[in-house]
Amino acid sequence: MNKKRYKQLFVSIAAGEIKILLITLISAFTALPFVWMISSCLKPGSEVMSSSSFLPSTVTWDNLISVITSSPIPTYIFNTMWISLVIVALQVITSALLAYALVFMKFRSRNILFGIIMATYMLPVAATYIPSYIILSKMNLLNTFTGLIISSTVSTFGIFQLRQAFMQIPKSLVEAARIDGSSHLEILCNIVGPMTKSSFITLGLMSFISAYNNYMWPSLITNDPDKYLVSQGLRSFFIEGGAYGTNWGLVMAASAVIIVPLLVMFALTEKWFVNGIGGETGVKG
Amino acid sequence: MFILPALIPLCVFWIYPICRAIWISFTDWDFMSPTYSFQGLLNYMAVFRDSRFYEALWNTLVFTFGTLFPTIFIGLLLALGLSKKFHGSQIMKFIIFSPWITPTVAISIVWTWIFQPDGGIANQILNLLHLPGLKWIFSSDTSMLSVILVTVWKSLGYAMIFYLSAIEKVPKDLYEAGSIDGARKVRQFFDITLPSISPTTFFLTIITMINSLQAYDQIQILTQGGPSGSTRTLLYMYYQLGFQEFSIGKASAVATIMMIITVVLSVLQFMYSKKWVNYE
Repeated sequence: MNKKRYKQLFVSIAAGEIKILLITLISAFTALPFVWMISSCLKPGSEVMSSSSFLPSTVTWDNLISVITSSPIPTYIFNTMWISLVIVALQVITSALLAYALVFMKFRSRNILFGIIMATYMLPVAATYIPSYIILSKMNLLNTFTGLIISSTVSTFGIFQLRQAFMQIPKSLVEAARIDGSSHLEILCNIVGPMTKSSFITLGLMSFISAYNNYMWPSLITNDPDKYLVSQGLRSFFIEGGAYGTNWGLVMAASAVIIVPLLVMFALTEKWFVNGIGGETGVKG
Repeated sequence: MFILPALIPLCVFWIYPICRAIWISFTDWDFMSPTYSFQGLLNYMAVFRDSRFYEALWNTLVFTFGTLFPTIFIGLLLALGLSKKFHGSQIMKFIIFSPWITPTVAISIVWTWIFQPDGGIANQILNLLHLPGLKWIFSSDTSMLSVILVTVWKSLGYAMIFYLSAIEKVPKDLYEAGSIDGARKVRQFFDITLPSISPTTFFLTIITMINSLQAYDQIQILTQGGPSGSTRTLLYMYYQLGFQEFSIGKASAVATIMMIITVVLSVLQFMYSKKWVNYE
């Protein structure tokens, strides 16, 4: 190796180091709000507002204990958990059925139907809120979990994602099963479903997260504090505290109680996100 | 039938309401009264006379493009940097993506605390760098910047994940064999990588744009459209008109205008995309 080669090697190693340093800095910036949230909720009351130290000098669990034992936050989490699970189940079923029909069944207006679904996927969902609100009020379903659930039974994103996945399956496979006398439902459950299992898992996780995190629509149709979901509940917890000067330690503890379970869930299911989201969604336009 | 379980809710809570919203925008209906009358473009005239509308329109454009470019650009850089595995790269992917899965309301509350002029960590960091502290969400000069910062922070990981899998799919034989020096690497990026991943760029541009046009949660928590309207977007104006002032007609007119903007921007994108997006 001559001198020039050494120099090149050195430059490329240095470039690599700078790259890693930059990415580390961005990761640190991304993690900062989470670290700051945890650190704030573990600080003793006197220390939260003083900017003297980033980390707590002594760890206190008071804020977390008070959120878990004597605030409505656990109720909100419970409400949100079971409602999100019901919504996920409904969305996965309706999306699978419709996507199956779009890909494997021939009927008139199939392309028009897909066009309409794509259009509704792109249009601002908020445009539907006033009329949907009126529909729910006519059905006497404002302020009820039923109203929230039935207005969320369909996910245009889910239909789109499963359609993309189903298109990868050879049509001949489905036709052969039809000739053998299987019903469409049997084919969906026994052949198509197992072949696109990973798309189903990704869709389930994504709709769980969007149901769990949803804020605007639930907050418009609910004003009964017993029926708040986490986002609306956390906001009202935050606003109520604000009247006497926000107790940031307590508010951060409430946020942490809501955020940390999601982060844990994400840590356990990360590969489904990383492979599923980028991998199979409609990059082909 | 297979399509009914999805089609019925789709009609009741999507298609019908969209048509209904457009219809209401031409009437003088309010929530209460049983009767209403058609009044043509009166709601639209009222919206166009409202100075808040132009401010909100401008804010919407600033917010949309202010979040779009950094998200796509930094997302791509991160994906390029993380596409080769190194010690800790897995954890960094995890960290960068994690804001996307957390509730916007919860993290916006955390950011409100970060942005506190006294005691918040944003100004502490600025002080550490010997820079003067900012008023962040509490001043109309910096409020939009703050909301954009939070939104980019939240959506970076999403763009990164899409780019990571797109980069992985670029056929390896397109690249020249053997080791290459820095200048050739840059050329290679512009000649091979960038065109190959252009469908992903296109997809992300559309998705990020749609998300930005519909941003509500972070604005509601961080600034409530303020101070003095500096972060009021069209969607937030729609919310204030419809659910705070109960001007249903005007709110529906704003919703219709938003739909038109979405359609126009998407059509422009699709037309323009033929020039730079490569489908092999």
